[in-house]
Formats: sequence, C-alpha cells, structure tokens
Amino acid sequence: MKLLKEIGWLLGKELTLEWRTKYAISGILLYVFSTIFIVYTSFIQVQPNVWNALFWIVVLFASVNAIVKSFVQENSNRQLYYFQLVNPTAVILSKILYNIGLLLLLSLLSWLAFSVVAGNPVRDAGAFFLALFLGSVGFSITFTFIAAISGKADNSATLMAILSFPLVIPILMTLIKLSAQALGLLQDTDTESDILILLAIDLILVGMAFLLYPFLWRD
Amino acid sequence: MILQYWWKILSVVLLLYTFIAGMVVPLKPGILEVRPSSGGTGELLQLQVTGYNTDYTRGAEGLRAWLKMKEDLALAAEKTEVLSERQLELTFRIPDYLPANQKVQDFTLIVDDAHNGASVLPSAVFITQDSVAPAKGQALWPSDEIGRLHEKEQMTFPFRNILSETIRNTYFHVPLWLGMVLIFLGSVVFSIRYLRGFREADDQKAVALTTVGILYGILGLVTGAIWAKNTWGAYWSWDVKQNMTAIALLIYFAYFVLRNSFEDPERKARLGAVYNIFAFATLIPLIYVIPRMTDSLHPGAGGNPAFGSQDLDNTMRMVFYPAVIGWTLFGYWMASLYYRAQQLSSKMWERHTV
Repeated sequence: MKLLKEIGWLLGKELTLEWRTKYAISGILLYVFSTIFIVYTSFIQVQPNVWNALFWIVVLFASVNAIVKSFVQENSNRQLYYFQLVNPTAVILSKILYNIGLLLLLSLLSWLAFSVVAGNPVRDAGAFFLALFLGSVGFSITFTFIAAISGKADNSATLMAILSFPLVIPILMTLIKLSAQALGLLQDTDTESDILILLAIDLILVGMAFLLYPFLWRD
Repeated sequence: MILQYWWKILSVVLLLYTFIAGMVVPLKPGILEVRPSSGGTGELLQLQVTGYNTDYTRGAEGLRAWLKMKEDLALAAEKTEVLSERQLELTFRIPDYLPANQKVQDFTLIVDDAHNGASVLPSAVFITQDSVAPAKGQALWPSDEIGRLHEKEQMTFPFRNILSETIRNTYFHVPLWLGMVLIFLGSVVFSIRYLRGFREADDQKAVALTTVGILYGILGLVTGAIWAKNTWGAYWSWDVKQNMTAIALLIYFAYFVLRNSFEDPERKARLGAVYNIFAFATLIPLIYVIPRMTDSLHPGAGGNPAFGSQDLDNTMRMVFYPAVIGWTLFGYWMASLYYRAQQLSSKMWERHTV
C-alpha cells in the first residue's frame, strides 16, 4: 500500500515537472514531426511495408530520446533526497509507468502525423493500437532501466543507444510482425503467441528491473 | 593435486576424445546421388545410384531397394545391378497412376543389403503423373512390403544427404553454443555474488567468464558460418538464429563499453554486474524464443527436421554430450587462467606505480 502511494506521489511529481518545463514533450514532438516531414519529402508515395518499417524506426528513436533524460533531468542531490523519502522500487516503477504513458502518447501522435502526411495503411486499428501499447510497455521498461544505468556515466546518450538497441531488437521484431498483420501485409495466424512472447519478455524485464534497481541508485 | 585439478584433466580428456572420435569414426554408408531424379508414370525407371562409404560388391547378394511414398506404400525394385563398389543400377516399373492427390509426388529411396546396412535418401525421385486418380493408383500400387532391414552394428555416424562429412561439426558448433550459454550463466552467478557481497574478486571472475563466453560465441558463429557455407551455400544467409546470435554478441560487447565508461572501479563493477544480469535475462528470449517464432534454416525450424529425432543417434550422443561437458569445463579453465593473469598484471601495475 505504501509502495502504491509512493508511486502515485512520484507519478504526480513527474507530471508536474513535465507540465512546468514542457521542454521534453515539445522537443520530442518537434523531433517526431521533423522526422516525418523528412520521410514524406524523400518518399512522397509510401508503400505499406516501408510505412511499417519507417513508423517503428521513428517511434524507436523518439522513445530513446524521450527516455534518455529520465534520470539526468533532475540533479543527483535531488535524487538522493527522493531516495531518502521513498523506496527505490517505487522510483523505478513510477518512471516506467510514466514513460509507458509518454511513449503511448508519442506513438499515437506519430501515427496521427504519419496518417496525415503519408496516408494511413492500417486496416485493423484495434490490432495496431495493441501493438503500439505493447511496444510502449516493452520500450519503456528496457529504456528506463538502461537510462538508469547510462545516467551514471558522462556520455549517457551514446551509452544509452549502445546498451539498449541490441536489447530491444527482439521486442522490435515481434512488434513489426504484429503491426504488419494489422496493416494486412502478413496473413499470419500466430498473433496470440506473438502477444504472449511480448508479455513474457516484458514480465522478465520488469522483474529484473524491480530486483536490480536498488543496486543502481546508491551513489 | 589430482583432487584439485580433476576437472581440468577431465576437460582435456573429453576434448581429446571429442577430437579423435569426432574425426575418426567413419560415416555410415549412404546414398550420395540418384540420377535421374525425376520420372513419369508407366515408365521403366532406371536409376543410377552413387553411394558414399559403400561397398556394394560385397553386399550384392540379397541387395534390395524400394521407392517409398509413405508408411505402407512402397515399390520394390524390379532389378538391381551392382556396377561397382559405389555404383548401383536399380530398375523400377512405375505404375500408370500414383496413389497421390497431386501431379508430382516425391519418393524416398531405400537401399538395403547385408554388408552396408540400410540407407535412405529422402525425396530422391519425383514422379509426375498425367492425370490424378488416387483410387486407381491405390489399386495399381503393389504396396511391396519393406522386409527386415539390416542395422549396422559398428561405431558409425549417420549419413545425411546434404550434411555428409560435415555432420562432425555437431561436436564443435553446437557444444560451443551450449558452452557459451553455460559460461554466461556462470558469469551471471558471479555478478549476483558481487551484488550480495561487493567483493572485487567476484566481479573480476564475472569479467573473465564473459570474455571467454564472447570467445565461444565468436567461435560458434565461425564454425556455424563454415558449416553454412557447405550446406546452405553461403557463409551468412540472414537466418534468424544467425542474426540473433550476432545481436547477443553485440549485447556483450556493450557490456565492455559500459565498463570502460566509468573511472571509479567500484561503480564500474556494480553497474557492470547489474547490466550483466539484465543482459542475460534478455538473452533467453533472444536465443531460445525468437528463433522458434520465425522460419529458420536451422534444424528444428521451418519444416526442417530437428537433429535430436533423426540424426543424433546413440553413437553421436556418445561423442556429443562429452563434447558439451568438455568444452564447458575447458571454458571455465580458460576463464580462471584469464582471471589469474589479470590479478597478476594489476599487482605488477601497483608495484610499478608505488
């Protein structure tokens, strides 16, 4: 119960922080829209399979950029203060939850922007939304945890990319397959097992983050 | 001393056994090639069979051959003639209709004699029929019974058409992968121990094991690429398992990049240990789950038969399992040497600086 209260409090803090600065979200939105603009001007006519690949690449890079700041935007003294007030697992879980929301918003906006400039080849909107949701969860867990590690180093942005991209590839491959089905590119029957695999990977990663984060915060 | 070093001696003995037995034990006689590989219904089909490791002249007495479609549908050869030790001529009279629902049906060739034992070539001959009439075919098909086949009793490895001699790579490629996973597992155990006690030695051991694990990974990739060149035709064919293992190696290269980006040794060790555990957790879906989802050229996926069921017979098991244990123990030995060398060099470094 205490943990839930702490998570709620920390989530509120993240939201207030974001609302006051509006720095991250506006930066990310600019990033997404300028990428999509470049995509549009260079392709003009986008085939559904290219659309699928481009969409996930844009979402992937936008997610990394959105999450890399998770542990560096507040200075270390203030983080030390939080750790004295709350349980470290509450910190990582609240960051993960906040980032899930952020990434979901981000990917929905990318979808909207993509459909405005490059058309919307999605046939099964429900399945595509499910892929977006599962993607947000998987990306959020992996990237948040890696951001916690790389935030300790000086060159955190570079380290973030090096550490997290290989780790996220299995999730990304499954997601591209799922969304290819939503786009009608692939007539595959095994959607359920794909979703189960994604959920299983998420569960393993969140369990690991939960267990290992207490070793990360102390310095 | 023997008690202390028994596992090192064991690893050397097992690896020597793997190299000697894996290279020396001959392959079972098999069928290398059948020509022509296609025919039509109602024909008198003459097949030139090239054997491998065979001595048909010594088994000519009582040599039998069948074209088999499925479990109890087989056509016996009308005439068998031994041309040389490795050449056979088989004559089959193909009926006018096939008991099959498709125009083209593939047949498995089985050759059996007392000297060479039974050998099988799957999809050896494709027979085309002009009109499809399974009922007529069923009536015409003689359904010759495949009599008792001769089992070879000697120490031999099974012959697989596309693998042939490269089947010996099973003792190097596969055990290296299994050894890699077991060594990474050991490294994770030391990382966990480090996080429980914060002893620097545990972290150093984890690093040594990870280094050897990467070496095994690279060796596994290289032996796999050589094997792929011989069987699939290219060193790298963007097979899922190849991609996934390349990514797994990237994850572990990133481990060293991470360690190098911290100056403080305590921080380096702690964050390295955390990442090592996290990376191993993602390695499991990477190596074992994802390749099962998508088609792969590897055995056991995409309609390819798994090794365990057909090829890994008892003779091969007698080499394969010792090979896995031998490579793993050898890896641990290498890691312990690397660890001690690192310890010594850091000691020397301290002495120089003071």
